[in-house]
Amino acid sequence: MTASGSPQDRSIRVADLSHSYGSGPDRLLILDNISLASEGGEFIALIGPSGCGKTTLLDILCGIRAFQTGSVTLRSLPPREGREDTSRMFARDALLPWRTAASNIEFALAARRRDVDRKGIIDKLLRDVGLEGFGDKYPSQLSQGMRQRVALARTFSLESDFLFLDEPFGALDAQTKLLLQEKLLALWEKTRSTVVLVTHDLGEAIALADRVIVMTARPGRILADVRIDLPRPRSVSALQKTREYHDLYAELWDKLEQATSGAAGNNRENGA
Amino acid sequence: MSATETGASAATTAGTDWSRTGLIWILRIVVLLGVGLAWEIAARSGVLPAAFIGQPSIFLVKLWTMFTGGSIVAPIVDTLSATGLAFCIGGVLALLSALLLTVFPLAREVLQPFIDALNALPRVALVPLFIVWFGLGLTSKVVSGVSLMYFILLYNTLAGARSVDPDHRALARSLGLDGRRIFTQIVVPTAIPAIFAGLKLGLVYTLLGVVTAELIAGGKGLGSLVSYYSNTYDANGVFAVLVVLIIVSFALSSFMARLENHLMRWNQN
Repeated sequence: MTASGSPQDRSIRVADLSHSYGSGPDRLLILDNISLASEGGEFIALIGPSGCGKTTLLDILCGIRAFQTGSVTLRSLPPREGREDTSRMFARDALLPWRTAASNIEFALAARRRDVDRKGIIDKLLRDVGLEGFGDKYPSQLSQGMRQRVALARTFSLESDFLFLDEPFGALDAQTKLLLQEKLLALWEKTRSTVVLVTHDLGEAIALADRVIVMTARPGRILADVRIDLPRPRSVSALQKTREYHDLYAELWDKLEQATSGAAGNNRENGA
Repeated sequence: MSATETGASAATTAGTDWSRTGLIWILRIVVLLGVGLAWEIAARSGVLPAAFIGQPSIFLVKLWTMFTGGSIVAPIVDTLSATGLAFCIGGVLALLSALLLTVFPLAREVLQPFIDALNALPRVALVPLFIVWFGLGLTSKVVSGVSLMYFILLYNTLAGARSVDPDHRALARSLGLDGRRIFTQIVVPTAIPAIFAGLKLGLVYTLLGVVTAELIAGGKGLGSLVSYYSNTYDANGVFAVLVVLIIVSFALSSFMARLENHLMRWNQN
């Protein structure tokens, strides 16, 4: 949809990325030599123990955080906050409470896509996330799950080539989460943008992603990069009943345990 | 589609229990009548000197004749117009100052201790000086009101502008909004509830500032009337005017509350 550069290029390239916080003896290595490439149109999930630097990596991709060594590009260009071809979804809905559901989506559209039929896009997206008729409700009048659905609609309204999702369903109960995951997949199947999802939920990573990247505890390294070859379009609830899903879950769970147990030994010696 | 989730629309405000509300109002009236009756009995029986504490039956009649005879109208208009003027001037000055101090953080850092010091100063103690500077008329009353209004609204607005949700700021930045648009579309709306709280509180305090100036300077307002009655040892006159002041103050704050409810429908849970 975006007209700049080569529109089909949705590639992400991260090469030899290292980043640490602080300086001197307090220096804390967060990301250790991360390399990761995607030709684009891929759904990538980042998973790992707390403090493994997955959020830092996402922040770097979003252009919020400057990094120290290595190179990072989205469509051959360095990341920058507010880049027109990216959008970001937050763990909490980040809806503006003084705007209605529809007006929250419009807020994003007005910032990025002025020359479109905003009302048409908003109505369609509200329908897609199952909130038809709720457009004039304020966030305080909606449940947590409904608010996050509005946030989902807002994120997809931008039709960005790169989506960065920071534990978007972390605060929801299991049932609502499942519903939202289905909505996310349905919206994504249509756009096939490049998605980087940070999550704590292994089941979510498998159900949604094409690739699950398991990171080690601090300093964050890539421990495993597992391709999820489950057919699309997927149904999250149906998937959870299949054998392949459970095999992948067991396989990744082992890796995650490995990642976590590595933490004890690694934690103290990262000043090096 | 989960039925549990869509059913959760929060339209619960209609669930007010009317019989409970009625009971509360009845009990309030009982409390008011009880206090009034005790007061009346204390004054009549001579347990407390009626000349000092007044007597509800007398000052309520006096209050009634003040309204029916129209003698209270001019003082009310006088006090209210000074209050209104002080409220508007103080409000505009406070909002402009808050704007400048938010847009220029350096100015805020430099000026903050001075603002804090002025705010810590009991402004009421300055009223005699205001009268010396601005005379006995309207100006000193308005300045007295402004001196209270200004700081209340300034503090509330600054606090409101600083309470921006980091997620909202992050969202705006991720959408590529520049500083000016973040200010108008995120910071200002965030500050609105705090600004309203400041306006509500400020209005009552402006009235206080005006009445204080009237108490000291005399003139035609309600404060001057209180001062007159108390100087002539007319306790019933003082209480009659105090009741008027309570009514005026109450009317002003409920007006603000209504305006707030109307303008901030989104802020109701």
